[in-house]
Amino acid sequence: MRKTKKRVWIGTGNDFITLPLILITILVFVPMIMALITAFQSGPPLNMKFNGFGNFARMLTDSTFKKAFGNTFLYLIVQVPIMLFLALVFSSMLNDTKLKFRGFFRTALFLPCITSLVSYSLIMKTLFADAGLINQILGTQIHWLTDPVFAKILIIIAITWRWTGYNMIFYIAGMQNISPDIYEAADIDGATKTQQLFKITIPNLKPIILFTTITSTIGTLQLFDEVKNITNGGPANSTITLSHYIYNLSFNFGKPNFGYAAAVSFVIVICIVVLSLIQNKVVGNE
Amino acid sequence: MKKRLLGLLLAVMVVFTFSFTACGGSDKSSDSDSDSKDSGKKTVNVWAWDETFNIKAVEEAKKVYSSDDYDVKVVTMSQDDIVQKLNTSLASGSTDGLPEIVLIEDYRIQGYLTSYPDAFADLSSIVDEDAFSPYKFAVNKVDDKIYGVPFDSGVTGFFYRTDYLGDAGYDDAALQDITWDEFLEIGKAVKEKTGHALFSLNPSDLGLVRAIMQSAGTWYNAEDGETITIDNNPALAYGINIYAQFLKDGIVEQVADWDGGVNAVQSGSVAGSPQGCWYSSTITGADDQSGKWRIAPLPKIANDAKATHSSSIGGAGWYVIKGLPGEENAIDFLDNTFASSTDLMATLATEIGLVSTMKAAADTAPYQEANEFYSGQKVLEDFSKLSTGVPEVNYGQNTYVIESVMAEYVQQIIDGKDVDKVLKEAQKQVEAQVAN
Amino acid sequence: MNKLSNAIKYVVLSIAAFVSIFPFLWMIMGTTNETRDIVSGKIKIGGKFLINMKTLFENDLDFPKALVNSAVIAVLTTVFALLLSSMAGYGFEIFKSKGRERIFNVMLLSMMVPFAAMMIPLYRMFTKLNQIQIGSVKLSTYFGINSLFVVIVPSVATAFLIFLFRQNIKAFPKDLVEAARIDGLGEWEIFARIYMPTAKNTYAAAAIITFMSSWNNYLWPLVALQSPEKRTVPLILSAMGASYTPDYGMMMCGIVIATLPIALIFFILQKQFVAGMMGSVKG
Repeated sequence: MRKTKKRVWIGTGNDFITLPLILITILVFVPMIMALITAFQSGPPLNMKFNGFGNFARMLTDSTFKKAFGNTFLYLIVQVPIMLFLALVFSSMLNDTKLKFRGFFRTALFLPCITSLVSYSLIMKTLFADAGLINQILGTQIHWLTDPVFAKILIIIAITWRWTGYNMIFYIAGMQNISPDIYEAADIDGATKTQQLFKITIPNLKPIILFTTITSTIGTLQLFDEVKNITNGGPANSTITLSHYIYNLSFNFGKPNFGYAAAVSFVIVICIVVLSLIQNKVVGNE
Repeated sequence: MKKRLLGLLLAVMVVFTFSFTACGGSDKSSDSDSDSKDSGKKTVNVWAWDETFNIKAVEEAKKVYSSDDYDVKVVTMSQDDIVQKLNTSLASGSTDGLPEIVLIEDYRIQGYLTSYPDAFADLSSIVDEDAFSPYKFAVNKVDDKIYGVPFDSGVTGFFYRTDYLGDAGYDDAALQDITWDEFLEIGKAVKEKTGHALFSLNPSDLGLVRAIMQSAGTWYNAEDGETITIDNNPALAYGINIYAQFLKDGIVEQVADWDGGVNAVQSGSVAGSPQGCWYSSTITGADDQSGKWRIAPLPKIANDAKATHSSSIGGAGWYVIKGLPGEENAIDFLDNTFASSTDLMATLATEIGLVSTMKAAADTAPYQEANEFYSGQKVLEDFSKLSTGVPEVNYGQNTYVIESVMAEYVQQIIDGKDVDKVLKEAQKQVEAQVAN
Repeated sequence: MNKLSNAIKYVVLSIAAFVSIFPFLWMIMGTTNETRDIVSGKIKIGGKFLINMKTLFENDLDFPKALVNSAVIAVLTTVFALLLSSMAGYGFEIFKSKGRERIFNVMLLSMMVPFAAMMIPLYRMFTKLNQIQIGSVKLSTYFGINSLFVVIVPSVATAFLIFLFRQNIKAFPKDLVEAARIDGLGEWEIFARIYMPTAKNTYAAAAIITFMSSWNNYLWPLVALQSPEKRTVPLILSAMGASYTPDYGMMMCGIVIATLPIALIFFILQKQFVAGMMGSVKG
């Protein structure tokens, strides 16, 4: 009896995956369900009561929520394509074996992602201060931190600086799997480098591009550290993101509103799921 | 076998979900490890912000009174951090990691006291209501129980550089008894003639609007602390309009955070700062500017019968977290220092320029002294006089929730939208925000 | 034509490299300057380096303690994460079955759960641990909220790492496993003796990713760690930036020190890192 049980459990692979799965269940799926329950409640944290769809109804008229939602999508729509495009361009340039200083360029471009999000945010904050270096170099007097439009641009610049190299690494890795013969053949056929990028590189990298698009989308939808440390959501919530709004609702006001915060967090979940499905469809195969 | 694995995972999930959501924090852990330090002597931890002011105040208090039973340890934390940590801990019903004593701003405390009725210790026994300014008890009392030791006054003034204003042709008398409209004109002239901004503003911080509102005895909410009074609030409309005007006309320097404002003052780029009296310790922090500063009363609202030159920004009190092992010691410490010691108030008046809300403090010697840094002005006396005229308002529980929304609408006004229309919309929006 | 495009390539890459590196130079330069020079954007090497370092280490924010906290958290997280995720990745790939495949796909969904959604429930979950007491030993000291454990645990089993390991194992010759079984080795022995040594690159990539994200983690420690002596490096840096009168010179020293360990690990493991990443993209 004991022996059969042993054979069922040990040595079938379950023993390898059980512990990690239990942890993921407790630490991701259980909180998730708890958050879903909380999303339908309201009231003070220690005495929350069922509230139906009240929290979701509230979102429809909440101007700050709309702002946070709009900002998050603005970052997503503007920043992710720019970043991924730059990453593609740089990696295809770096894929050239005849390139001099290749190692240096690659390391240099990857370097930003060794900084912590808090660190680089603080660095950006000093660089883009009113009297700071960037304004001096440009000879401008832009209020990077307090102008509603430029503050958003600053956030986009900052994230792009930090994450382009990270995505580039995936592309470089992917490109090395593409046989050089294909490029040689294309060279002989007289295809330009740009044509090669669009006709050979990008189609071959499809799954990786999908992967980076999805991870970047998830990352951007959860954007928090940068906004908190560069502008703190200001001026007047014009750079605030959904995650930052959730944080504010939960911890930043005198009266925490966990129910509403949880409801807002589910909007992120839904967005992630929907966008991942769409991206999967657009790219076609898995 | 795969069913068994799936079953196990499901079971784990169900058990955890239920055990954690079902008993939604009815019980409360009652002690932390803060007393288990090897020495055997207990520690009373204090959290506060502003190392030039509140932190120094606690350090001075330690000199006035020390007990053999415990040590007092003060930790500097930004106000945002304190707020966040109080919320995370109290909301989970756990006090682990929290300090015994915490400084909380007047605007925020009602929210805490009502959200977490059991979290703070009743200090009625050590705080004598007659000994402090009455307006402080509008914020720290619930049902006749006093939960806080009133600390600093938030009475406002316009700190200004006499040299910059002099260059623009304004002497000290020119800043007395003026309206905000006249103040705006002064700002334009200063900018034009000296190139300096009149003061710095953080567009996300509506402290100035609050001050203007309170100077006429109104607030975002009515006296009951709940009814929102944003629409049809002439003082608020006036304040917001002035605020937007300052930003629009470019006569203030825009800063992104608190430190930006401090920097603007200390680097000499702005001509002044309309602030609560506690800002004095920041101003005097720039030693090299001694003798160049003075303080005037704030301007007042034009054409408003209730308008005064007195108002308040900030101000805070000391609160004790209930249920920590050092609770008794913490109360003992406050009892012997901030709740009773006029000597301490006198020392703090000299050391950090504290305008105390303890009535007896005004009779101590430092309040009559001329201050060298402020060109010989009797700063504390002037502030005390102004503070008697501060209109009392009920800050309610939602000041910062409301303000986060209001800041967005101020941007719309800066963009040129009609003030009354915007405030009507804001009223609706805020009502929805604070409803649940 | 070719020369021109080549020239453009070098110009573009040089600009990109400069933009990427410049903030690092700025931060190193910042360690030698005082606040005033930093916010007014002065490019100069100042003489304040030692003073800044001294304030950093003697400040009551207790930076050295934060370094220790961060190091403990990052090292433990990395060790456990590597072990658990490689186990799971190996289990899913070597022992394929329909049921496990389904579980794997469900598990992948956990990558889509934003942390903001889990933050509050997780927090409330861990506070429950604070109330458990066994004899005179209070669990809270080691496992409850406000303990380093709470920061470590949520990052030790992540779907992303399991996915990464599984992708890499796809290239691992399964015959080896069969051969080892015939030789009478137990499954765990095969995993430890046959698989693990061949997967150095994957482990390197996973180690960099995990160590980096753990060392730099901000939101969860911000919520989970209450007492000042438990704070990690990013929390201290953020507190420095948001303090009443921040000392930017000191802060830059802190940032440089916070960046060094990651830089070191990255440069040591760079080759393996790229190789490991490549393995994950191949499948």
